[in-house]
Amino acid sequence: MTYYKAARASPPPKTVLACSYTLLEHIILLMTTEVVVLYFAKSAELAEVRSENITVSHQVTSLQLWQELVRKHPRLVAIRDQVVLAVRQEYVSLGDELLILHPGDEVAVIPPLSGG
Amino acid sequence: MSQPANDIGSAGLEVENADMSGCEIAANDIVKLTHDKLSTEEVSASVVCPSCGAVSLFIGITRNSFEGKKVVELEYEAYIPMAQSEMKKICWDVRQKWPSVKHIAIHHRLGVVPVSEASVIIAISSPHRSESLEAVKYCIDTLKATVPIWKKEIYETEDCSWKENKECRWAGSREK
Repeated sequence: MTYYKAARASPPPKTVLACSYTLLEHIILLMTTEVVVLYFAKSAELAEVRSENITVSHQVTSLQLWQELVRKHPRLVAIRDQVVLAVRQEYVSLGDELLILHPGDEVAVIPPLSGG
Repeated sequence: MSQPANDIGSAGLEVENADMSGCEIAANDIVKLTHDKLSTEEVSASVVCPSCGAVSLFIGITRNSFEGKKVVELEYEAYIPMAQSEMKKICWDVRQKWPSVKHIAIHHRLGVVPVSEASVIIAISSPHRSESLEAVKYCIDTLKATVPIWKKEIYETEDCSWKENKECRWAGSREK
């Protein structure tokens, strides 16, 4: 009898835990977004990639976004002082500017220009 | 006169001229990125207009040396859609600063450009010469500062180096 009661007592805690985990996942999904990162010129050589999808917070500063790219591709640090980003084809310097990112937004790493 | 854009990475944008009595032809902004060899004749012909007494031209050509090193060729790449939108912004700026400017054509080559070949051609027409001359200078100066295009110099020694325009505000202290 005691054993039976103990068995019945165990399922509810696991069920509550399962609900909480799903809610947390949901919250994380709402707060992050997947963007496309494009690498050009020197940055493409350092990152060894031309294009990739990354998941980031949908609100980040441009500096935080850069730091996330460096975390994935540490060699990018070599151009830290000579790089800006382009978010939705508008230049953004690395700093405290808060970016609101939407799914599928393009973020480009822009080394010093040399057209013309 | 309109310029249909046929090449991949090309774009043509027509802007209506408010003064329809003096000239019925709409002003054109012709912005083209292409891997093909550039043609000065094609670019200048694209801006000729009966009401314009002047066509001013700039041609950027691959030099054969940099700091004593022999350059074999340049290789260009671009963030194409943004390069097109930045070049269109330059055309818009030109029209604010020099309202009498008629047609503007900016052609930039991508990929490998051998020495002595053109990498960029800018042609602008205006009724009188001073506006198109000033506007062409503005175009190339601003292109070097704002259009997401990059060039790599390839030397005879087979090493290479990404160049940096001094006009670019996030370039390092190294001279171009």
